[in-house]
Amino acid sequence: MKTIRLYKTLLATAAFAAFSAGAYAQDIKLGYNGDLSASPSAQSGQAAVLGMEAAIADLNAAGGALGRKFTLVTRDDVSAPPKSIQNMSDLVDNEKVVAVFGPTNSGNAMAWKHIANQKKIPVLGNVGSGTDITKPMSAGADNYMFRVSMVDREQVAALMAYVKRNAAGSKVVGLMAETTGYGQGGLKDMEEIAKLQDIKIAATERFGVGDTDMTSQLSKMKAANVDTVVVWAQGTPIAQLVRSMEKINYFPLTLTSWAADNITFYDAAGKALAEKPIFMRTVSETRTPAQQKLFDRIGSKLKAPGSFSFALHGYDSVLLLAQAMKQANSTEGAAVRVALEDLKTPVQGVLKTYEKPFSKTNHEALTAKDLVWIRWKDGKLMPYSDALIGALKPADFKQ
Amino acid sequence: MVEALLQALISGLAVGGAYALVALGFSITFTTTKTLNFSHGEFVSAGAFIGMSALFLVLGKPLSSTTFGDAVPGAGAQLFALVAALGVMGFLGWLLYVLGVRPFAGRPGMAWVMSTLGFGVILQSVGLAIWGPKPVVVPAPVGDTVIRMFGVGVRPQELLTLGVAVVVMIGFDRVMNRTMIGKAMRAVAQNGNVASLMGINTNAMMIGAFVVSSALAGLSGFLLAPIAQASLFMGLTVGLKGFSGAMIGGLSNPRGCVIGGFLLGVLESMVNLWQAQWREVAVFALVILVLAFRPTGLFGRSTVEKV
Repeated sequence: MKTIRLYKTLLATAAFAAFSAGAYAQDIKLGYNGDLSASPSAQSGQAAVLGMEAAIADLNAAGGALGRKFTLVTRDDVSAPPKSIQNMSDLVDNEKVVAVFGPTNSGNAMAWKHIANQKKIPVLGNVGSGTDITKPMSAGADNYMFRVSMVDREQVAALMAYVKRNAAGSKVVGLMAETTGYGQGGLKDMEEIAKLQDIKIAATERFGVGDTDMTSQLSKMKAANVDTVVVWAQGTPIAQLVRSMEKINYFPLTLTSWAADNITFYDAAGKALAEKPIFMRTVSETRTPAQQKLFDRIGSKLKAPGSFSFALHGYDSVLLLAQAMKQANSTEGAAVRVALEDLKTPVQGVLKTYEKPFSKTNHEALTAKDLVWIRWKDGKLMPYSDALIGALKPADFKQ
Repeated sequence: MVEALLQALISGLAVGGAYALVALGFSITFTTTKTLNFSHGEFVSAGAFIGMSALFLVLGKPLSSTTFGDAVPGAGAQLFALVAALGVMGFLGWLLYVLGVRPFAGRPGMAWVMSTLGFGVILQSVGLAIWGPKPVVVPAPVGDTVIRMFGVGVRPQELLTLGVAVVVMIGFDRVMNRTMIGKAMRAVAQNGNVASLMGINTNAMMIGAFVVSSALAGLSGFLLAPIAQASLFMGLTVGLKGFSGAMIGGLSNPRGCVIGGFLLGVLESMVNLWQAQWREVAVFALVILVLAFRPTGLFGRSTVEKV
């Protein structure tokens, strides 16, 4: 009798396990690989994951895709390229994810983009903004790197278009950048687009990411009569830069990378100095009803309200991937890539409606014309506008 | 041009003050125990966070907070935070010596190098678990309004760091040369066995060296936090530059170490005035040059290796 009971129990357990495994196998596994704990950019990664989880919940509530539900597997790369590479292999080979999102650090994406391309796993970047992330490994090669986020070169194109238009106020232009890969990549973009715009650069200065005093570099800018400075750096160094400007009482028109949207910039610069730079991002704190709805849902979980933009990128990136899978009627990487490059149905995201966002040669869903101009005002990332911005036309953006 | 040079000099001295305090910390353990705390940078970060948490404690906020908001701690709170940073970091220095240095010192190999490095990794990981990676702006005890003199702008906290570095250097110099405890420390540094035979408690001297060195790291972190923001990653650069300053000045000479720290700060500032992208090259080229011609640093004395 005891033996029969034991067999019954074993049988029931096996049946349950088989059922669970079957259900599990049917889920469409998505991966997130990015910094979630170890650097100031971790809050961006955490926000992106929150947005992705919200999108997955919404998609699953509507039936998922291909009759299957989505699940998300996250891996923290602690901002370290070797760990990020290891995560990528783990997600693809062990977890069998069909697509990867992230990372938070552009350098980490550059470290493993070859893996995504070799293993034909679509990647939708939703945080890192380095220009080269979405470039194909070689001219004309199939490219699995897509992005729904800010792009350095798109920002530079807009900032330089503004400088060009501001002929009366920007007579002497200087460039400044931190000495990291992020800063130097932006500096390369700035120099190239300045050339395309025929903007003469009077001075170029660099500073360390951990520097607390940039007065020496600024003194040279001041001596060269620079009236407009375009800066590529992370939030904290930009704050140290404006604090150094205050030391020598020199405040040229300051246009910066979007990193100035980080709360660490605002905190470090203080209210008055934080309101000096003008920069761009994908959303201001003047939200659309759809954005507000998402904010009400996840806002309390955000480490900083400013990181909400990454939640929007995360949300929309999942919707775009899901649409591509539906169109391809497959989760197979190559088919999804082809579908992403030719999305036939518009996707209603929270940032915008995506109508054919990607093509074979363009893997950026958000371009200069989708960005909004921002200036800190009373602790909020408020839309900024002036006559020059109002006059900017698509033809002004040169890349 | 004169204004720019003066600005670079003052800014360099202010940054150099932080390097000097770190360099002095390296020197203290080296002269007494012939070992170094390779996680000195992490100790600087930890000091900043201990001081910051003490301020939160006084303000009635959770210790793991990451923003002061509009709260401005008073002088008493700042003093309490300073004492807490010195005390806790001093205790951690004792712990480091007992757990990470003493068991390995005198044995073959360089196990203490790894154990001091590991101690720093543990400190950083614990800090990340408590406060997360976000840098925290810490209100300066002396305000944040730029002071202008002869066209040169400087923040009060930078002047404070500079002043404290000079005072600590002079104070330490006097203790080492004019007090019994200083003489005892120098005796231990000279020859521990002989010092022990003379009745000097060498173990206590060595513990004292680690306690003072770590408290100095805490002081550096406490002073740097309002300038650079309290960050668990802030100590890495300042630790490396402080060590470089110590190498230039001479690890065996505390006075030289402080001068080396200031020298490095001013050099950085001057190179920035020329071509900032060559700054690190210039700094480390100077370190290599000094070591090539004066292996014990500009002010160092030749020493015999012993662990």
